[in-house]
Amino acid sequence: MMRYRDGIILSLLVGSFSVVNGQTNGTDQTLPAVTIRGTTPERFSAGQKTQRIDSVTLEQFRFQTLTDLLTYTTPIAFKVYGAGQLSTASFRGTSANHTAVLWNGININQPTLGLSDFSTLPVTGFDQLAVQYGSSASCVGSDAVGGSILLMNNPKWQQPGFQASVGQQIGSFRNYGTQLGIRFVRVAGKRWQIAGKSFFYTTNANNDFPYRERGNYFVEHSITQQKGFIQDLYFRNQKNQQLSVNLWLTDNNLTVTPYDTTVRERTRSQSYRFLTTYETNKLTLRLGWIRDIIDYARGNFNTPSHSETDRLISRIEKEFTHSYPSAEVSLRLGGEWSHYRTQVDGYGDQPIQEDRADLYALLRMQWTRWLISANLRQAFVTRFDPPITPSLGVEYAVVKTGQSALTAKASAGRSYRVPTLNERYWKVLGNPDIRPENGFNLEAGLASRWIPTEHLTVTSEATVYRNRIDDWSYWNPESGYRVENLQLVVARGLEWSGTLNYTTANWQSGLTLAYALTRSSQERVYNVYAQDIIGKQLVYVPKHSGRFSAFVAKGKNRLTFQNQVNSRQYITFDNIQFLRGYVLTNVLLETQIKLGPVAARIQGQINNVFDTVYLNVKRNAMPGRNFTIQLICNLNTLKQ
Amino acid sequence: MRKVTKAPSVRFKLALGLLVALNWSCNNDNDDPQALPYGSGVLVVNQGNFTDNNGTITYFPPTGSTASYDIFNQVNQRSLTGSVQAYEEADGKGLILVDNTTAGQDKVEIVDANTFKSLATLKSPEIENPRSAVRVTANKVYVSCWDLSGDFSNGTFYKDPGYIAVVDLTTNTVTKKIPAVKGVETLLLVGSEVFAGSTGGSTKLTVIDITTDQLKTGIEIGANPNPVAVDGNGKLWVYSGGEMIQVNPQSKAIENRLKIGTDKTRSLSKFRLSSDKQYFYFVSSYYGDASENYKEKGETYRFSVNDTSVPATTPFIKRLFSGLAVEPQSGIIYGGYTPSYKQAGYVFRYQASGTLIDSVKAEIAPSGFYFK
Repeated sequence: MMRYRDGIILSLLVGSFSVVNGQTNGTDQTLPAVTIRGTTPERFSAGQKTQRIDSVTLEQFRFQTLTDLLTYTTPIAFKVYGAGQLSTASFRGTSANHTAVLWNGININQPTLGLSDFSTLPVTGFDQLAVQYGSSASCVGSDAVGGSILLMNNPKWQQPGFQASVGQQIGSFRNYGTQLGIRFVRVAGKRWQIAGKSFFYTTNANNDFPYRERGNYFVEHSITQQKGFIQDLYFRNQKNQQLSVNLWLTDNNLTVTPYDTTVRERTRSQSYRFLTTYETNKLTLRLGWIRDIIDYARGNFNTPSHSETDRLISRIEKEFTHSYPSAEVSLRLGGEWSHYRTQVDGYGDQPIQEDRADLYALLRMQWTRWLISANLRQAFVTRFDPPITPSLGVEYAVVKTGQSALTAKASAGRSYRVPTLNERYWKVLGNPDIRPENGFNLEAGLASRWIPTEHLTVTSEATVYRNRIDDWSYWNPESGYRVENLQLVVARGLEWSGTLNYTTANWQSGLTLAYALTRSSQERVYNVYAQDIIGKQLVYVPKHSGRFSAFVAKGKNRLTFQNQVNSRQYITFDNIQFLRGYVLTNVLLETQIKLGPVAARIQGQINNVFDTVYLNVKRNAMPGRNFTIQLICNLNTLKQ
Repeated sequence: MRKVTKAPSVRFKLALGLLVALNWSCNNDNDDPQALPYGSGVLVVNQGNFTDNNGTITYFPPTGSTASYDIFNQVNQRSLTGSVQAYEEADGKGLILVDNTTAGQDKVEIVDANTFKSLATLKSPEIENPRSAVRVTANKVYVSCWDLSGDFSNGTFYKDPGYIAVVDLTTNTVTKKIPAVKGVETLLLVGSEVFAGSTGGSTKLTVIDITTDQLKTGIEIGANPNPVAVDGNGKLWVYSGGEMIQVNPQSKAIENRLKIGTDKTRSLSKFRLSSDKQYFYFVSSYYGDASENYKEKGETYRFSVNDTSVPATTPFIKRLFSGLAVEPQSGIIYGGYTPSYKQAGYVFRYQASGTLIDSVKAEIAPSGFYFK
């Protein structure tokens, strides 16, 4: 280890790399009824695939990170740097900058890096999770090129009362997690209801591996400490006016090679996210503030390289609906304005400020069998010119009976990405003249549901897509990793997922299978040696990936298998080197017991059951078989 | 370094050997005495892209241009996991110097020089930031190591002192660490002494007695001196700060200082002696400006050991090489070319006259060569 460029390279790593990975699957077991107003881009994304992660899965992963959950439930490929270390997403063969992460409708990707480190986002940080496949720039805005991850908090109005919850996880390698929280819903006066949630969590992953190597590959030592606090408050009245306040603080402290004071590296990422929303049936007003801080230090932790970005976000949306005899039409008009202020060591001494604004119109028309959405968005950014982004989506219910349903879907949409602050302002390697990437996404699919008997439900969804992204920005290794609009990337693929649920009076069982083919390649010849990389699979994007999960439950006991399969991941542009493909399997056993007013849930888990040796992007081995046990106690006065 | 004459029978054996080696990787039958697949030819040291830890060694057979890639992985079913810094042989064994992005994960892989089968691995703390290796006696190799490196921006990058690891190939262990200047770099054996250079700011050339493995009095040269070679006149040449300095290896006296070029924006590197020991080749490089997309540019130049001035205005080969070496018998020049650190590089071969012979695809960032 060494090298002068470490700092820069690290920022780049974190910041940018043009390319990531791809994988496969989809899970949905039981879809909880979701009623959230305003926050869902899904409503206006007709023709596109949306996958909601069910509450059982969220509960099973509540001591893990979004990376862990999404690798077992979706085809999103993650570029992981080590246990508890940086983890970035490649959605449908796109880069780490091409997945929008929305928290209650607000994009929380780090503006400097233009991405989210999914290792810093614990599953316990939100109440609901949905994954939106494909470009949805017209609904979501920047970054939604490969897909979007939708994190939502949600008051449980239908469950008045009070709940206190305590959870503890103990795992192999001296890894621990603790969670404490309360949740309440109560009536205030004659007209008002209040709901709230306060939640605190902490994770201490010491990663005290009993081995230094696995299969002759080093296992890098790192320690991750994570803390977070969530405060949600909701007030609503009989006129259905609602005021909500959401607060999410996260603090992630990663130390690599912690025991050597010369070479240890610490990356501390802190985020303060604050959002207040006022909603009526027709109007939504939002005001938010997000501060992202990253401190990186090597050796001496007292003088880190510091980056701090504040965003002030405001949004107004007004919806017009009209019911015709055979159709329901909604038009939502929205405007958004945000102010950015960033102070980063690599950008110079002065803070950099910019304004961004968006205007959009979202139209949804629904007939008995047809659903059409047509959307348009124009973004405005200081000293930058994003393109206008339209989209059109259609769904048609080919079969629609009580027993079976078959829906055909198609959509087309343009996408864009506002360059990251690093891309524009990084003094040495950034490029103030960088152009917006220009994406065009086409997809079509079939979704079906079949309920042949009262015990059996079968669903299946197949999608094909083609996403062409021109002016793909690229930290060009030929010019010292300076950023350029150099490449043309075409990502195409297909996704198939199927579920089968069989339920009897005593037993429940379910099976989910998913496969994704992701073919993503660079297509432009920009110099003589680019010949060697034309048409080659993008690095870290497995061509084939599959997910398999199965569960069987009786009463309060449940046994679950989770499985993921990934084909090789190339690590060079010309595909001469790769990380081998691998299969990972987890087994979970859980039970629930009641002790007076306390409902307890106990979950035991074996991760990497077959002790597979698989490598991360630093070519270090990931941990082998390991165990966790968790206990969650809920003191519940919630009335059902 | 030696060179085996090529004959059809040798080629046949090689092909056979390769087959056997391939066969090995499947059945782990390690005891086949026939297999000498890498007994002669050229090894290309591909540094790799640093953060990808993907350095490799490519093998070129003595004739033809059919390369074998990542031969360590082919034979041992695992990759080297680091940036490969250098390769050296002694006692029928090869030493591969591997620098990983993570401290404590650097190593020297010791392989059978003929089969590339892994024999032993020297790891941290014996080996930290290995830079260069030189065979000093039949079964002893010196490996220069920077030791753990700190934060470059804080000026604590090079640990003081660095060290030279003494590797005993009868036991495949590090028997001693000779403390050396910080940032200790290139090693050159001359007679019973090893001269050690520096990149860490030292102005002295380190001298080590190979019989005692002890430091001797160093030679004051100038900024970051690194030994290059002993020419046909028996003079040691050392590069330091834009000059080639001619030293008498016996008396240690500086006999001449030859300024190389005049353009201060250029950096000079990879000084290599021709096989007739009459010329030095070197690479002169610079970074283009915004209009040239900040690309690294440059050419390869040549001068005679008897020249009194080196203007370095007319390139010998109009190419920037990431690696440069001269085949000692034939005088053929090997130039490694790196189009980018994310795709395979090429090796261009030239006659001593500078006439291009051919080019062969190597792997990521070909930066060094070993002729055997």
